[in-house]
Amino acid sequence: MSADRLRGVFAEVLGLPPDRVTDATSPDSTSEWDSLAAMNLVAALEETFGVELTTTEIMRMRSVGIVREVLRAKGVADV
Amino acid sequence: MSDPEAEGRLRAKARARAHERALAGGEKADYRVGLAATFTAEPLVPFLLDGLLEGGRRPAVSLAPYNQLHQACLDHRRAFAAPDLDAVVLLWRIEDLLGRELELFLAGDADALPAARARVAQLAAAVASLREAFAGTLVVGAPAFPHSPASDLLDPTGGEGARRFHAEATRAWREGLEGVKDVLTLDLDALQRHHGAARSHDARTWYLYRQPYREEFLALLGGRLAALLVLTRRAPRKCLAVDGDNTLWGGVVGEDGVDGIAIGDEFPGSAYRDFQKLVAHWRREGVLVALLSRNNEADVWEVFDRRPEMVLRRQDVSAWRINWDPKPDNLRALAAELNLGLDSFVFIDDDPVEVERMRAAWPEVLSLALPADPARIVEEVARRRLFERLETTREDRERAAMVADEGRRTELRSRLSPEEFLASLELRVRVFPAAEEHLPRLAQLVNKTNQFNLTTVRRDQAELRALLGSPGCFVYGLTAQDRFGDYGMTGAALLRERGAAWEIDTFLLSCRVLGREVETAFLSALARAAAVRGCRTMVGRFVPTAKNAPAADFLPRHGFARAETGEWTAAAAAIPAVPRHVTLTLED
Repeated sequence: MSADRLRGVFAEVLGLPPDRVTDATSPDSTSEWDSLAAMNLVAALEETFGVELTTTEIMRMRSVGIVREVLRAKGVADV
Repeated sequence: MSDPEAEGRLRAKARARAHERALAGGEKADYRVGLAATFTAEPLVPFLLDGLLEGGRRPAVSLAPYNQLHQACLDHRRAFAAPDLDAVVLLWRIEDLLGRELELFLAGDADALPAARARVAQLAAAVASLREAFAGTLVVGAPAFPHSPASDLLDPTGGEGARRFHAEATRAWREGLEGVKDVLTLDLDALQRHHGAARSHDARTWYLYRQPYREEFLALLGGRLAALLVLTRRAPRKCLAVDGDNTLWGGVVGEDGVDGIAIGDEFPGSAYRDFQKLVAHWRREGVLVALLSRNNEADVWEVFDRRPEMVLRRQDVSAWRINWDPKPDNLRALAAELNLGLDSFVFIDDDPVEVERMRAAWPEVLSLALPADPARIVEEVARRRLFERLETTREDRERAAMVADEGRRTELRSRLSPEEFLASLELRVRVFPAAEEHLPRLAQLVNKTNQFNLTTVRRDQAELRALLGSPGCFVYGLTAQDRFGDYGMTGAALLRERGAAWEIDTFLLSCRVLGREVETAFLSALARAAAVRGCRTMVGRFVPTAKNAPAADFLPRHGFARAETGEWTAAAAAIPAVPRHVTLTLED
């Protein structure tokens, strides 16, 4: 359920069907994940999970799996 | 996700995304905006789109490449990669355009300010050349106070810091644009002060993406920009229909008595008094005020007469329905009495059920329920900017007074035969070629006239200006007055010469002068003016809308016959003469 929430954010922002989003999804494998999408992802993630990301964290976010790790490390429980 | 504003932004972005998908799927946009900024503006686009959607547009936004304002001005088709834009928006920041000059200025360099002024003047000159080349709506941002850690708004020295630089840059921008016609300004500094300079900025997105603003600020900016653009095309609302009990005053007059209701200096009466002050402000701006109250009529007037704390006076109320009938029925009756379309109305009531009932019956009425806490009424209502418009013209301010005259006319009409009534009006009509000084009122007529309008083609001031000088194109205005008062400029027409056949592109009259055969006099004058220039045939079109039924039979009633093309044609010589009760002056 919670995993769906993270995938849902990516699917919505990247305009992809949710089943195409996995933890391995990354900017290198997904043409939709460009710098503009990255900007939108930051805003969507912060809104959805109620966190504020640092630039270090934002720059680390090179795959959905890493985003999950980053959010967990920030204390987001259900991700 | 408990933050309602954040949820609102998520919804706005979702709506914008759905709209963009529809556009990608082949849906046609009906309003195209080109946006150029000195910073990364992509995240602004969803909020701009959403605001335009809310304003009834099907918008598309094209972005110029990052930080290419000059290029966008000098070759807008190429910069926006879009051929037929309805509007171009240019936004710049001091940090981006004048960042180096600002740093030098703060370091004490005496040449920095003249250099900054020169750069601003150069951009203004580029805007002037864009204005020459582009006939659509043009909006520029006035720069916001810069985010400068060396000299922020808390800087106690004031004068010589960023504040002075900002003031000088703003002045240079204003002066540079002084000679450029029809440029609308979106004051980014006012937006930033409203929102809070410190809360507007996001250093993270600035460093990572050259996008300086927090999303909350982008939402505000996009919304205000959309509202400004919508106002160039939409008729502003003209009448407030407002409830009495628990709306203009606290309590229920029928139960609490005239002396028991709350109005005055003490809360909650002070909250209702302040709401009345806001209504009185709209009234001064030309908005008509109508009462829609479930009450005994005598009780309501007793409140006006016996409570000196009331801000609104009896004479501020242009029309009323104080009875027990359903409010949607009463509002329709008010619309007929005031000669207004339902979409000219704002309805305010404390009872959410009444508001829902009104929305269900008349979705075109903007219906608003007051917040339950009286302390929040004024801020909640003011925030909605219900009667916002671009310019208040003399006609707006005097409309409320004119409606009082209209009451006297109606009274007279009931006692005379129709012919006698018309003759008694001593109606004088003047038809003249529209010129520069008529443009604001002309644009207003073209954009707000819904009922007597043959084609309902909307054009903003810049587009109309372009038509004024255009060969084969004749723009006429009409003023009317009678012995009850001056209606001001209440008619407009645009004729296009097509050899011996002249096309009536636009023909409209304000509803204030309908029912007096002014339309016949206008057409007759136009036919005469066109015939002098070689027109043999007039060609008209009627484009039906939800509102323009009053104009539906105008062409057939005036000698036009339907051609196979669907157009209506009439020999110029066969157009009916000026009615006898009208004294016409044709200046041509």
